Parts: sequence; structure tokens; C-alpha cells
Amino acid sequence: MVSVMEVYQLLPKTNCKKCGYPSCMAFAVALLGREVKIEDCTPLVEESKYEKKLENLSELLAPLLSADATETGMVIHPEKCYGCGNCVVACPVNVANDPKGTALGKGPTNEKAILIVEDGVVKCVNVDECRRFGPEKILCNACIATCPSKAIEFI
Amino acid sequence: MSICTGCSLLCDDIEVELKGEGIGTTKNLCRKGQGHYESLGVERLAPSVDGAEVSLDDAISKAAKVLSEAEKPLLFGWGNSTLEAQIVGIELAKKLGAVIDDTSSFCQGYLMEKVLNGVYPTCTLDDVRNLADVLIYWGSDPSSSHPRHMSRFSYFPRGDKKRQRGYEEDRTAIVVDVRVSPTVEIAKSGFFKVLPGKDPEFIDALVTALSGKIPKVEDKKKMLGLGTTLKKAEYGVIFPGLGLIYSLKDEIDRLDPLVAKLNEVSEYKVIPMVGHYNMRGFNQTLLDETGYINRVSFKDGVEHGPQFAITEFLEECDAVMVIGSDPASALPATIAKKLAKVPTIAIDPHHNMTTELAKVTIPSAISGLETGGSALRMDGLKIEFEPVVESGYLSDAEILARIKEAI
Amino acid sequence: MARTKEVTIVTHRDIFQEQEKAKDRYTQEYQDLSALIVLDRSDMKLIGAEDGDMVLVENEWGSVVVKAKLSDEEDAHSGIAFMPNSPWSNQVVSGDTGGSGIPDFKKVVAKVSSAEGDVISLKGLAEQMRV
Repeated sequence: MVSVMEVYQLLPKTNCKKCGYPSCMAFAVALLGREVKIEDCTPLVEESKYEKKLENLSELLAPLLSADATETGMVIHPEKCYGCGNCVVACPVNVANDPKGTALGKGPTNEKAILIVEDGVVKCVNVDECRRFGPEKILCNACIATCPSKAIEFI
Repeated sequence: MSICTGCSLLCDDIEVELKGEGIGTTKNLCRKGQGHYESLGVERLAPSVDGAEVSLDDAISKAAKVLSEAEKPLLFGWGNSTLEAQIVGIELAKKLGAVIDDTSSFCQGYLMEKVLNGVYPTCTLDDVRNLADVLIYWGSDPSSSHPRHMSRFSYFPRGDKKRQRGYEEDRTAIVVDVRVSPTVEIAKSGFFKVLPGKDPEFIDALVTALSGKIPKVEDKKKMLGLGTTLKKAEYGVIFPGLGLIYSLKDEIDRLDPLVAKLNEVSEYKVIPMVGHYNMRGFNQTLLDETGYINRVSFKDGVEHGPQFAITEFLEECDAVMVIGSDPASALPATIAKKLAKVPTIAIDPHHNMTTELAKVTIPSAISGLETGGSALRMDGLKIEFEPVVESGYLSDAEILARIKEAI
Repeated sequence: MARTKEVTIVTHRDIFQEQEKAKDRYTQEYQDLSALIVLDRSDMKLIGAEDGDMVLVENEWGSVVVKAKLSDEEDAHSGIAFMPNSPWSNQVVSGDTGGSGIPDFKKVVAKVSSAEGDVISLKGLAEQMRV
């Protein structure tokens, strides 16, 4: 899991505000939340003295940017997924939304599930219903703790 | 909805879109099932004799000829065939006075015998979901072999009336293995590492702990803790995998005292972690017919014994018919190569090492996808399925019937 | 002379290999997922192999060249190695079942050493059986 500090260290750390954020730390948070792209820090991209930082930052964030990530930070690595359905069945939102389906171990019986298995691997749909997001978020880790291969992570 | 015949869980909630010769989007298939369905689009076996392509009828005639001319034919495979096909296969074996054996012979056989003969108590997978609070995965790694086992039945789902509070509150998973398998990753607190060959010791120690005595192990506290956990179960289920089976081999009786003790202190069932979708079906069918689950010779009435196991009988047989199996890949090479020394007939949807060595090849339909039928799930429940796609391939049952008629 | 280490090999299932096996056994993917041996760190060091190198696994029953993978188990397991159950691992599984009919798939004693050469293909393994 990439930390905000790791990202911050690879930014110019000048707080120049060209990106529209009050500080480089704020930009780092926005970058991890995928609200901005690396290119939105124009000094980092344009000034040759930051070439190494740019390279390292691109490398650091490559897995996050390439994975099947949703806007809300749930990252799925389908190439690691076993298609076991543990996350689908253990997810409390799935249980609440599909009490006669996924709650009992079956495949989803309605459209309200947020984790489903398609083409042999897990896929995230309706992620805004996930309990880790929104104003009343909680630190639910059902889909992570039940995965045999760390195919799901939150960043 | 389709039923997956990729393993003995026979998942019945599969949605599949057909696309040309293969498949499009699927829903609810695990990775293994996905591979199984994708095989629809993979190059199929063609009928052949001595390496040259022939008509299906010619291949079947040749197969019948090879088998009827043999004095000691062996009919092997069966786990990937429907119950209907298995019945015809057993009739064929009787007609030929052949030896019939299946993959359980070098797999779950000895354990399956105990379960089917009622020596070890058993239950259905639905009972597991609805009632079980202690699950013991012994030498099995369902995450890798039966991915949906824990999500559909054994650990994560809620029951219909009981076990409704979720796995963290309602269930305890114990995993006994030689390494940190993917299943151990999701049940770390219940992990017991047992080194190769040390299962008998572990069994003895556990029986001792369950009897309230101090076990002879290094970590006595942990073993006594396990004893306490197991005693408190309302309904325990053991899922022995090949890790335990290969450790005990033909000394499966060494597990008896543990199963007995567990049922003294509580209620425990055993469900073998069968691989092929209908291996249990064959074992049950042959048992009903002959009193034995595998390794049967019909040469002189009905005989049974390890001498009729494929690993041993390949030495003296003079013809082999392999149906829906690949012993050339699955057996130790020095045994497998004997398949090249006798006329072999291979019946399969696809090419594999066994079909490469075969004198006669006969293409068959993929059960569950191209042909319907019925099978016994790993817990013995009979499941019937329909095909999802039309193909020109004959089912196992039809091929065997034609061979039997031509004899 | 290459340094060798005697190990007990335990064969097992791997989901990615199972998927490929169910689909098509003749692919490079199936070979890459099957023809490998997971070795403990100190055993790798002893035979002078690095993660990804070719090693020779041999005993009285046969021999096979496979790719060595460094174990990611926390606890050391020198002397025990792991291979996915496949026709490659079957090259060294004992053909003597002691009359039980059950081969020792999870107790394969063999010597491992660094090797040159490539992994033989599935077709190649079948060819070998015809000899």
C-alpha cells in the first residue's frame, strides 16, 4: 500500500500552488485518491531538476494506476484473483442487499451486489455502496481478510 | 443457468454466454470452472487409429476389436463421465471379463470406502452450510482445488436457520497442512503445521488431547487448545484432502480412533475432497453393483484387491481403455509409460498425453456443456444437468454403448 | 561438480495451473505454471541457484529440468520443496507403491542441483514415454 508520505517525498515540496492545491501534501492525498494525475503538477513534469523524482513517482504509482481501480480507492488485481467468491459472500453490503443470494453462498440474485464474479475473477460494481467510503465510513475489511491471494486492496 | 462439471462441487448457478465456437462472458465461475468452460474453444480430439484419422465408426469398431481380442483388458477413468455412462461402462467391463478401476484408486479411494460403507459418518454440503460450526481442512487446500467450497458451503455463507451471524462469530476453521497454503492465509489462527509423514503422530496427539491427557508434542498448549475447540463444536466436519490421504495411504485405519473420539465428545462428519465431478458417482455405482468402490476384476465372478489398481495392473494387462482421464500425465512416469506398451484406446474431448500414446482415439462430448446427464456431488447429492450447447460429439454413454454392442 | 541438495518434494495443486490444465494443457502457460520447484532460501543458496534459474531434479526414478522459485514462506523449510502436481513432477515420483496402488506423490525424495538446459515440453514428455 502506497503511503501519502512516500508520494509527498517525490513531489517538489515547494507548495507553489500551481496545481490548485494549498500544499504538496494536499496534492499527494489527491493523487492517491485519483482526483488528479501526476501531470497536474506542472513543475514536476516540466523542470529537468525533477526528472528523477518524476521517474520514481511514476514507477511508485504504476501498480495503482494500472490496476482495476475504482474512483473510491478499491483496487482489484484480477490476475491474482482465484474466483473463489469469498469476498462476494463475506461482504456485509452484499449480505444486506442480497440476503437470499450471496448471503447464503450463491451467486448474486439481484443487481445490488457490489462484488461479483465475472469471467472467473472478481469485479467491483456499485462501489459507492461500500462501507469504507462516504461520510459515515467504517474500516470494513471483509473482502481483504477473506481473500486467499491479496487480490483486493484499498489505497 | 448451467451446471459446472469442472469439479465435484457441481456449482449450479453458472451463467454463460455462447460466442461462436467458444464462450463469451460468464458469471459465478471460479478460475478452474472458467478454464473448464473455455476448453470448449480448444482443439478437439479427432477419431484415429495408429495415428491416422479415420471415421468415428471405424474408430469405435477398432476399439471394440482391440478390447474383445484382449485377455486382460483394463477399463480406466470414469470420474469425468455421467452416472449413465458409468453404468454402461460397468456392463461393458462385465461383458469383457475386464478389470475396471478409476482415479479414486490413487486418490481418495480408501477414505471414500469408509464414507460410503458408513464407517465414517457423513452429511451433505448443505448440512455443512446450515449447521457446521467447526471445519477441519486436513491436507486439503480448497482455495486451490475447489475455490467456491468455502464461499458456497463450508465457511463464509450463512445458514438458512442457524449460523446466521457470519463466519467470524459462527464458525471456526482449522487447517492442517505442511505449508502455508492459500487456504491457511484466510484462516491463520487455526493453522497447524504438520511435516511430511507426521500425520499419524498428530492424530495420536489429538486423540490424547481430546481424552483430557497431555499429548506428546512440542507445543502442548496449542494441541490442548485444539482439543478444547473441537470438543465445544456443535457440528464439526472434516474435509480430508490428498495431503492426509497420501500421508496415510493404505493405513487409513489410523484415522479411525480420531473420528471415533470426535464423535464421542461431540458430533463430527467426514466429507472427502473429491476432485473429478463424478468420481463419487462411480464409486457409489460400482459399490452398489459389486460391493467394492474400485479395483474390480470381472474375469472370475467379482474380485477386488490392490493387484487390480491401475498402478499395478498396467504391468500385466494387454489392452487399456481410458475414458475422460489422463493417466499418462497423472501417474508416475515409470508406471505411465506402460500405457505406450499396450494397445490403448482413449476416449476424451481433448488431446492429452494419454491420447498421444493411444492406438485408437475417440472424441467425446464435454459433459455438462455438450451433453446432459447426472452425477453425484462430492457429498453424494445427485445433480442432474442439461447441455448448454449443441455439438456433434457423442456422449460417453453413447460411445460405450456402441463399443459394447460391437463386441 | 555441481552442488546438490537432497530434498523431500511435496506436490500440490495451484489454482492458476488448474485453470490452464482445464482449458488447454499444451500451452506455454501450463508449462510455466507446472515445471517449477519452490525451494527454501538456504537450499537455493547451497546449490548456487537464484530465483528463476534452471535446476535439475533427479533420483533413481527419473530426472527433469524445471525452474527454481524462491519460497515466500516465513518459516524456513530446508530439505522440503514444493512442486505443482504435473507430468513434470511425475518424472521423479516413485513407481513403487509398495502394493498399495498409491504412489508417494507427496514424499518424493530427490536431489536438486543447478542446471543448464531448457524445460522439456509436454509433447516431449510424451515422446519420452514411447521409447
